[in-house]
Order: sequence, then structure tokens, then C-alpha cells
Amino acid sequence: MSRNGGGFDAIVIGAGANGLVTAHYLARAGKRVLVVEQRHSADPSADIGWVPDAVIRDLGLAGAGLRIEEPDPWITAPLEASGGGTLELSRDIGRSAEAIRRISPADAGKWPEFCQRMRTLAGVLERLYLASPPDIESHDVRELARIAGLGLYVRRLGKQTVIDLARVLPMSIAELLDDWFESDVLKGLLGALGVWHLKQGPRSGGTAFNFLHHHAGSPAGVFRPARSNITQALSGISGVELRRGERAAVLAKNGRASGVVLEKSGDAILAPLVVSSADPRATLQPIAFELDPEFARAVDNIKARGVVARGTLALESVPAYATLCIAPSLEYLERAYDDAKYGQDSAAPYVEVQRTDGQLELHVQYVAPGTHGDLLQRVAGVLNVQPNQVQLQAAEQSLYHGELTLDQILFMRPVPGWSRYRTPIEGLYLCGSGTHPGGGIPGAAGRNAARAIL
Amino acid sequence: MKRYDAIVIGGGHNGLVTAAYLARAKKSVLVLERRPRVGGAAVTEEIFPGFKFSMFSYVVSLLRPEIIRDLDLPRHGLHILPLESTVTPMENGDYLAAWGDHDETRRELYRHSPRDAEAYDEYGRLMHFMAQAVKPILGMVPPDPTSFAPGDLAGLLKLGRHFRGLGSERLHALVKLMTMSSADFLDEWFETDVLKATKSASGIIGTFLGPRSPGTAYVLLHHYMGELDGVFRAWGFAKGGTGAVSEAIAAAARGFGAEIRCDASVARVLVKNGRAQGVVMENGDELRADTVVSSLDPRRTFLQLLESDHLPSEFVADIKRFKFRGSSGKVNLALDALPSFTCMPGVGRQHRGAFSISPSLDYVERAYDDAKYGEFSRRPYMDIVFPSMIDPGMAPPGKHVMSIFVQYAPYTLNGGWTDAKREAFGDAVVNTVESFAPGFKSLILHRQVITPLDIERITGLSEGNIFAGELALHQLFFLRPAPGWAKFATPVRGFYQCGSGTHPGGGIMGASGRLAAMRILKDGT
Repeated sequence: MSRNGGGFDAIVIGAGANGLVTAHYLARAGKRVLVVEQRHSADPSADIGWVPDAVIRDLGLAGAGLRIEEPDPWITAPLEASGGGTLELSRDIGRSAEAIRRISPADAGKWPEFCQRMRTLAGVLERLYLASPPDIESHDVRELARIAGLGLYVRRLGKQTVIDLARVLPMSIAELLDDWFESDVLKGLLGALGVWHLKQGPRSGGTAFNFLHHHAGSPAGVFRPARSNITQALSGISGVELRRGERAAVLAKNGRASGVVLEKSGDAILAPLVVSSADPRATLQPIAFELDPEFARAVDNIKARGVVARGTLALESVPAYATLCIAPSLEYLERAYDDAKYGQDSAAPYVEVQRTDGQLELHVQYVAPGTHGDLLQRVAGVLNVQPNQVQLQAAEQSLYHGELTLDQILFMRPVPGWSRYRTPIEGLYLCGSGTHPGGGIPGAAGRNAARAIL
Repeated sequence: MKRYDAIVIGGGHNGLVTAAYLARAKKSVLVLERRPRVGGAAVTEEIFPGFKFSMFSYVVSLLRPEIIRDLDLPRHGLHILPLESTVTPMENGDYLAAWGDHDETRRELYRHSPRDAEAYDEYGRLMHFMAQAVKPILGMVPPDPTSFAPGDLAGLLKLGRHFRGLGSERLHALVKLMTMSSADFLDEWFETDVLKATKSASGIIGTFLGPRSPGTAYVLLHHYMGELDGVFRAWGFAKGGTGAVSEAIAAAARGFGAEIRCDASVARVLVKNGRAQGVVMENGDELRADTVVSSLDPRRTFLQLLESDHLPSEFVADIKRFKFRGSSGKVNLALDALPSFTCMPGVGRQHRGAFSISPSLDYVERAYDDAKYGEFSRRPYMDIVFPSMIDPGMAPPGKHVMSIFVQYAPYTLNGGWTDAKREAFGDAVVNTVESFAPGFKSLILHRQVITPLDIERITGLSEGNIFAGELALHQLFFLRPAPGWAKFATPVRGFYQCGSGTHPGGGIMGASGRLAAMRILKDGT
């Protein structure tokens, strides 16, 4: 094994949005940073999720070609029951209400208040997400003051917000939507966001939280995360060294990280600081012998079951919609989930087509681990296209490196008590979506981690 | 006309506990029960000549020890007989058993998985700790986090300190228990499917959730809080059925001077100038009291006993939103003899405990799937006991009674419940048992099938929910039954609530009734 010095202060594993954000924050603090990425070229698919303003500002991403798509209308859903046509929801709350009025005047009347209430709750999450999670076990006066400040902030938003937070977060998205609306199509397209990347159905508790999590960063009345090219923009800015096509594992001994080892060559690259944006389990399990058994068990217990296949759709002409959602009712979603419970792909999956830069990307849920017999046919059937127009890649593991369930968020993420990006291995940090605040917010975990490290 | 200090509407166990505590504090108390006997859902009835049944609720464990002590219930006839074992027949003819003897249980588990046998003790210890950690919360009036009142702030602070005092490991376990599904929680501990299925079953009781639904781990813990003679997670029968528990509390209340009237149906609460003045009976009689307490569930308490103009509209909306969704049924059978189960042939000590029909997680989850779409489970989860084995007085000599708690039977059945549907449900139950105990059907002398609709009709519990409102996370603590009104008082002065629909709710626990009485006495009537 040859030793390859290089004189780096820090090595970041993974050149996804979070890894690159951490790397650039560290570089800006004067560190020499190497990023090691296993893929040979950047992933061309869009980054889905809220890109926090702070990240854009701090890293000057606006000048680096960052494009954030905010399609209007933001969703289109076919109306089968009412004799064809579509339901289109716009960024303008009033216009959406008008569209909803055609299928349900009652729902249209409630739409503006629903949007406001959800926005307020998502606002609380945003505040929680742009910093390390509150450490409720801390005895540090500053941390206690921060928690008190948070409590006061929430309390100032009004009594209703406090009640909503306590009531809504543990609820199922089906219960929440049934409280408000009657239209199946509307509840289906909103409910889909509640189960987004989750091995749960809309009737499962905690899916209302998942809904709000993915609403964070969007304006009132828009319930799909933004799409951007943040990873591409980050790859374009200078300041860090990026080595592609290399799979790296953490080098740890006697409770201390000393660098990484490259899988292909066996070469070691040394650095006093190693930050991994990879899945916490993939990062930590290979060095389990260095870990306390309790901690290792907690890592093994991270739930990160894959339920999503992503891919592309080839159409002859560019469609009129920006996002097409096939989730016609909550029951449709629930039945799709039922199949997943017993280890099957959904007979009738929830399918969403997302148009970004003229490319049509697919989100298909639920897919089970293992082989996928006729998934392509099923998806093609749902979309009314030929199977050869569909390309899919199913993820065995959660693309979020950890499901966003109530037991795996805030101070419980990635494992209970180790939510502040540190690990028991000195010099080894985590910065990926397996850490707080989790997936669907590219750059947030990376920024929080960098700030914790610095 | 006599004016009482307090009238308690409903003679279920919580109503009786409230009445007993108020009477013990020298208040003049009248309990009004609609049915011919006290007990609500904790009643013993001779449904068939010579065969007595705990008609609805059938096991005791959660009854708070301080209530047993304060009211001196053993002196009033309470006698609990331990329920020692649980046997789960498996589809392949094998079984999983948990016996009264701990070492024997471990040996049995070892047969299925050495790893699980190892984990079992640690799991038991953790759950014991967790139950201890949550117990003080059950005994506390929930502070209102939306309030700036000094009492509420102090309560919140106390709560915060309590949680922090648990230490990391238990705090994290508590968060997991409050939020996870019982299947996921048990997955972290065990690998044996039938063990997980049987354990998770206690997480679904009374809920409209499956073992893979988040929120069920809490119900798992709720059922761990049982305490008999200081032994955690010990379940037992009351000698004479659960009706005997109600009778004992009633006797204690009478002993303190409370008056209890049966066949006394209350039509509504009398409210004047925003204050409760008494009640109006179905027959038009008016009875006066300074304080009126309802032990009925929140829906009946606020939407039936009161005119809605006495209540703020937001509060009414909250109560309307409160979820019941009854999911449980009961089949009570009179038997010529005890059935023999394939997995453990013959008649023996296994009949002194419970049989749990929960052969696998998928089995229980599929039972839930049926209910989710409006059907009763074709192959339901069942908890079976033979009370006559432990208390021979329940059946004629040589004969037996069999109690089958069944899930799921949704209150809102596709097409609605009819007599034919009830019998079809009964058939599904009996046929499923038959598949684990061939020949069982020929032993049945009489059969009573109770659907959630029947539970509602007979006991008054809305939608037949056995907990007087679902024990879901968003319906617990300061949200039970509605935000801002979880402290037993109501928007109508002098009118209180004390049923299972208030904190902490659920099971024959009596904690709601006791806390309500404390609150009323503190407010001063």
C-alpha cells in the first residue's frame, strides 16, 4: 500500500450537493480540501428540493450558473372521474382555487387557508433545518437559550400554530387532508408528497410531517419541491480538488480517522479530517470494529428502505405540463403501499413525471427490493405509453440515506444522540442527507455540518 | 328538592372512581347510569343461563394501584386472579409460548431463536423502565403548552426536567416508542416473526392501525404499564368477571356515602348563565347539583348532553374531529368442553392463559388491510381466554366460557352492519379458530357476536371505540380530547369530564376518573 500524501486538511467523500457544499465551506475557511467521488461524471438528473438561500449566498452559486425551476402551474393531474380534462394548480393561490372550484367548490373555499396554515408550519421547520438540531439533553446555557428562543418563536406565531404543530406532525396525511378536503384528485396529489420517499402509506402516522418537510422552502400554495442544478453549479466552482471515479472508505484506527483508502488502488490519502456525505451505514459499518457496540447497533437500526425508482421518459414531443402526477386518490396511494408491505412492486404505482430542461424524469413509488418483473409495463400502462419509452432505476436503499419518519429526525438523525454531524471516531464527520435535516434539501445538511466542523 | 354537590353522568369505572373520590372528600354525590347495572364496558352478564361473561372488557391490569389502595377495593370484593401464559399457535402447527415461569419462557424462546432469547431480558428491562418513566405522566394533569399561565409553564418545566432526567438512552427509546410502528420497534430487537407478531398485537388493540403503522409502539407501551401487585405486565381476571371491578368501585363509593341510580338515563345537562346547574332526565325530571361530571366519551359529552350554543365553535369543531373509529369486536361462547389446539393437543395449563391468534406479522397486517377498505378481517387477530378455567363460577360445572377479542371489525362496514353481516363476522371468527383447533366448532353451545355497532348501542361508546377515542399520538395528553381542554374542566363552568376520552384514557385504568376528581376538589365545588 503506497501512501499518497498530498497535504490535504480535509477529505470529503461524495460529490453530491451536500458533500460539495461542505467541501466549499471548508475551503472558504482556508482548508485544503479533496473531494472523492465514485461516479465518473456528474449525475445529469435534476436536484429536487429546496436550496436554502444561505447556501446560494455564501457560496456565490448565483454566479456559478445555478438555475432553480419554479414551474407554473406546478402540477397537473388527470381528471378521470369528471370525464377527462386535468386539474392544474398554479403558484397563484387564487388561480389554483379557481381550478379546484371546477371539481369542488367546498375545497376551493378552503384552499387559501390551508395554504397559509401549512406555510406557517413549514416555516417552523425551515428555521429548525438551517442549524444543528436542538440538543434537548444539553446543559450548555447557550444551547438552552437557543431552545428557549425557538420555543418563544413558535409561541409568538400564535396559539393555533402551537396546536397545529402538536396535532399535525404525528398525524397521517390522509387524516390531515380528510379534515380539509373532499376531492379525491386533490387529496391524491397532495397525499403523494406525504409519502414521498417513505415506506409508508398515506394512512400512516407521521406522513403529515413528511408532507411539511417537503413543503419547506416552497411558497404558500406550492406543494412540490423546487428542481435545480445545484450539484452541477457546485461542480463548476473552484476552490476544492475533485477526484472522480474513485470509491473511498474511511481509514480509522484507535478511535481516530486518519484519511481514506481508495478501493481500486488501495492507496491511502491522509488527512486529519474526513467528512462523509455517503449513507451513514455505508460509511460506518465497514469500521464497525472501531465503534462502541451500542452505537454500531444504532447504525444498523437506521431504517433506509428503498421504495422509489427514478428514471426517464421519452416522448416524441415535449408535453405541455411541467409536472404530471398520477395519484388519483388517497386510496390509490394506500393500495400502492399495501403491495410494498408484502415485498411487491405496486400493481398500480404512484408515478410522477417531472420536466426539467426538456428532459422528462420519473419518480415511481412503491418499488420493492429485488427484481422488478413487469414494473416497466406497469409504469408505461399508468402513463399510457410504450414500455420502451420508459427507463427506470430502482433504489434498494432510501435515496435519503434514512427514512424521514418521526423517530429518525432532529436529534434522532442519523442515530439518537449523534445528530451534530460528529461521530464517535475523532476526526470523522457526516454531512449527507442521512443527517439533519435529511433529504430533499440539497446543501442544508452540508452547510450545517461544515459549520459544526468549523 | 335535594341539591347534590356533584352529579356524575355514567356509571362506568371512571365515573364510579370520580364519584368514590368525591364522596370520600365528603361531597354529596349522585351517579346516574342509563343501564340496569353499573360498569359501562366493564360488566359481567349472564348471557346464557348459567354462563357468565365479561361482556366487553375482559382482562384487568391497568387499574391504578393507588386507586385500589385509596378505595380499599379488595375489602369491597375485588379479587384478581393471575393470567399466566400466552400461547400463539403457528400456521405450521408449531407454537410460541410465554409462561409464568420466566426461565421456561426463555427456554421456549431459545427454541425459536437463541438471539431473541438473549434480547428478551434486555427488552423486558427497557420496557419496564419506559413504563416507569411514563407513569408519572399518566398521573399528572397535562399542562397546556399554548398557555402562559404560571401553572402551565411550571408544568411544562417539570415535564421537561422529567424527560431530561431519564438520561439519553431512555429518552431516545421514549421518542422511538412514541413515534414508531410496533413492527419497526420490535424489528430492532427480535428476529422471530411470530414473537414480533404476538408482541405487536398489543400495539394494535383498540386502534384502527396495523402493526406496521407508526404510533402503534405507544399502545405497546401503554399495555406494558399494567401493574398487578407491583408486577409489571401482569394481566389478570377479576373473580366474577370485570363487572366485579365495577361493583367493587361502586361499593366503595356507596361506602363513602355516594348514591348510585341505575335505569336513570340523562337527556342533557342543565346550563344557566354559562354554568351547569344539574341534569334533565329522559323522563323530564330535573336534578340539581353544583357540579356535573360526565364520564361519557367526548362526542356524547359535548355534542349530545350540551346544546352547541353553550360551547365555542372552535371547540365544537375540535370535538367533531376527535377520532373514534371502533375496530374491535367480541365473540362470547358457551362451550360444552375446552377445545384442543393442534399445536398443543389436549387440555391443560395452556387453557389457564391466553391464546393469541397472531401467527405472523403479515397475518395481522393483512387483517388490518381488510378493515382499511371497509371489511371485517377474513382471518382476524384474536385474543382468546377461558375465564371459567380460572374462575369456575363463570360457567356451570363441566362447561366453559370462552372470550374472544377480535380485530378488525370496522364500525363503518361497507354496506353497514346487519344481522346477517354480524353472523358472517361470527363465522369468520369461529372458522379461523377451527383452523387452529379442529373440532372446536362442535363444542359451541351458544354464541354471542358483538360488533362495534353493538358496543356503541349497548355501552354508548361512540363508534364502539373501546378507549372512548383513539389512543393516537395526536389525541393524547394535552390534546385529549381537545387542545386547551385536557384538564377535565370544560368551557361550561361547573361541568367536568372524567371518562377515558380524557388524559390518560384507555383500559380499566381509572386514572382519568381519579385525576378529574382531584381537579374538581381543587376547584372547590
